[in-house]
Order: sequence, then C-alpha cells, then structure tokens
Amino acid sequence: MSSQDVSIITAPDLTGRRHEFVLREDRVGHYDEFRAFFVRTFDLYQIGLSEPGYLRAPSGMEYAVIFLGRSGEPFPAGVELFALPEALEPLNDASVDRDLWAIMGWMIDGVGPPWTREDLETTGRVYRVPAAM
Amino acid sequence: MTIPEPASGLPAEAREAWPYRPRYATVNGWRMHYVDEGEGHPILLLHGNPTWGYLWSDVIPTLVAAGHRVIVPDQIGFGLSEKPTHEQAHSLDGHASNLVALVRHLDLERLTVVCHDWGGPTGLAMALHEAARVRALVIMSTWAWPRPPAEFHTRIFPWRMMHAPLVGPYLLGNHAALAGRGTYLSVVGREKFRAEAQSVYEDVLPDPATRLLTWTWPRWIPLDDSARAIARFEWLEQGLSTTTWPTMIIWGREDEVFDADTFANRFKQMLPHAEGPHMVTGRHFLQEDSGAEIGVLVRDFLAKQDA
Repeated sequence: MSSQDVSIITAPDLTGRRHEFVLREDRVGHYDEFRAFFVRTFDLYQIGLSEPGYLRAPSGMEYAVIFLGRSGEPFPAGVELFALPEALEPLNDASVDRDLWAIMGWMIDGVGPPWTREDLETTGRVYRVPAAM
Repeated sequence: MTIPEPASGLPAEAREAWPYRPRYATVNGWRMHYVDEGEGHPILLLHGNPTWGYLWSDVIPTLVAAGHRVIVPDQIGFGLSEKPTHEQAHSLDGHASNLVALVRHLDLERLTVVCHDWGGPTGLAMALHEAARVRALVIMSTWAWPRPPAEFHTRIFPWRMMHAPLVGPYLLGNHAALAGRGTYLSVVGREKFRAEAQSVYEDVLPDPATRLLTWTWPRWIPLDDSARAIARFEWLEQGLSTTTWPTMIIWGREDEVFDADTFANRFKQMLPHAEGPHMVTGRHFLQEDSGAEIGVLVRDFLAKQDA
C-alpha cells in the first residue's frame, strides 16, 4: 500500500451522512513532527479550527479529520478521525481497520525520516495487526 | 453478531488464582481497586504497564502464609480500578499521588514496597514522599533515573512507533498490542502464559478506551531533557540514592527490555547496600515465570530483617 491510496479531498457533501467516531489522539504533539505534519498538510495555521480536514481512504470511505485545541499547548493538541458513512448504514469494521492502517502509513510517509513506513509495517506485523499481515 | 460476555469484574478464568475480596478506595477522586489479605507488617505489591494486581497471584500466598499483610492495588487505569478515558487524566505525579493516598487511607506503617515496571517510578516516589512509613524496598524490572531508560527506548522500531501519535491509539488501543501480544512476548514460558494467564490480562481491558494507559505510560518515559517527567526522575534518583532502607533487587535473566546488566546493576550502584540482584527465570514480566520463587525471596528477605 502506498501513500497515494489515501488522498486529501475537499469538503464532501454531508447531506444524509453521519460522523462516526473511529480514532482519537489526545496528544498529537507527543512527537512534534507529527503535529507539524498535520499543520503543514492541512494548512492549520491559516484554517485553525474553522473547518475539518477530509480524507478518502482505500475503501472509498471518506473521513473527517477534526483537530482539537488545548489551552497552553501548541495547536493542534489532538486529532479525531470520523468515518462519514450514509446516516444509518453500519460501518464495515474490517474495512475501516484497513483504512486506518492506510492512514497510519500515509501519515508516517508525510512525517518522514527517521519515521519510515517500513518500521510501521514491521511493527504491525510483530503485533499481528491484520491489515499489516 | 456475537460478542463475548462483558468483563464487568474479575475475569472468570482468574477466579481460582485470585480468590480475594475486592476492596475499593477513592484516591484523588478515582476509584482504586485493591486486595488486602493477611495480617502482619504490610507489603505493597505494585504492578506496571499493562498488567494489574493479578501479576502477583503466585507471590501473594507465600507472603500471607509467612504472616504478612499483603496489599495489592490496581493502578488507576488498569485492572479493576477506574479507567479514565482521556490521556490528560494521567500523569506520573498523579499516579504516585494515588499511591500516597492509598497508604494514608490504610494508614500503613513499617511498609515494604515491592515494585515492578511503572510500579517503580510511582511506588518509589510514594516511598520517598512517605518515608516515615517505609520499612524496606524490593525492586524488579524498573528504573528510577532520568534518561535514557534503555537503548531499546530510544529506537523507533518498535518502541517509539508503538506509541507514536495516532499509531498508539490504533495499535495499542484498537488492537491491544501491549495487553495482548506484547505481554506474551515478554515472558519466557509463552505457551503456559497463553493457556493460563494471557486472557486474564486482556479481559480487564476489553475495549480500546480501556487500554488508554497502555500507550500513555510509555509517553511518560523521558527521552530527552525537555521531557515532562525529567525533574521528577532527577528527584527520584537523587532521593533514592540517599536511602538506607533494607533493599532487595530481583531481575529476570532473560529480560531484554530492562536488561539486568544495565538496570539491575545501576540499582546496585545506587543502593550498594541492597541484597542481590537475585536472578530468576523471566523476561520483563518475571512474576509470570517465577512468581512462587519471587514470593520465597521476598519472604526470606523480610525474615532476615526481623531476625
């Protein structure tokens, strides 16, 4: 899987869709290069909290990337990912899991060295993450 | 669609090895589960990440039979204790303070503090803060100095990657990597562990949100001078180095995370009066491989203090 499998998209039409929470990171600046990646990728110093970012993952599912601020900490302090399915359609959990793994890879590619996709994928295999096997 | 029965309390497979009455104390507003067995001078057994009091299940009977009062809390965020649901609810000082609150609540005196993994920084900080209550220390597979804990902790693969932003909640949260396979990889007798104990650790962390501390604790390990816990670890190292409490060091021969050459020997340098290190069969979770032997070591060590 390559980083091209995940793409940034413009704000989709959300009519008839819901935000389904799938992952939360309370401390995206734990390693500051991750926070810097999101700032750079979503132009957050211009956009701030005014609108989410949006991604399309390999399954075709679109995801909202919601940034969180916390007083006294560099922005963004946290990130939440929400799937955007049709309003009453349940998620396909296995498909979402593969999407999240692809988003992890896309993020690591964007953060760049010394963080590498190879290390991510090896870590995933060691811990037997299905999407990494 | 079928799902397992929710783990509303003690996992069924743990009940035989863990026949103890659950007790609860409120510490800093959180509900802390602990067991309190036997009578005599108290011994506090402290677990770390991602375990709970069950880690000591093979140690407790020997100590109770020897005439000790054994208190085993589950750190807030683990085991049968309350599990906060956002990362900022956890701090190193907060967890140490939780233990201070517990020993004050129980008014423990002549206390032996037995610590493992994060039970070290939290329990040793509590011991220094409540020094008048402490009788002795037993230290295993942990650390008490600023940095680096080990070369392992400086590497991206696998350590930093495991708890990296978003990767931590995905890998350790959604996929229980530390509570599941991570613990399995850190024992010597893996098949026995898989058959008898692994589910006991996994079942008390049934959902991603309940596993929050498994990726939050690693983020408190200082890796550079700007780390948020650096001052606390400096205080801990300095304070511990001046203690004269009877101390015993126990280590796993096969521990490749907190390897004995680095960690046990550094504790011995800090505390040259300490007994040991006693080497037992074990990786990081040495209690799973040598719990009964550890119980005997602690029993005999304390008997010598009474002689």
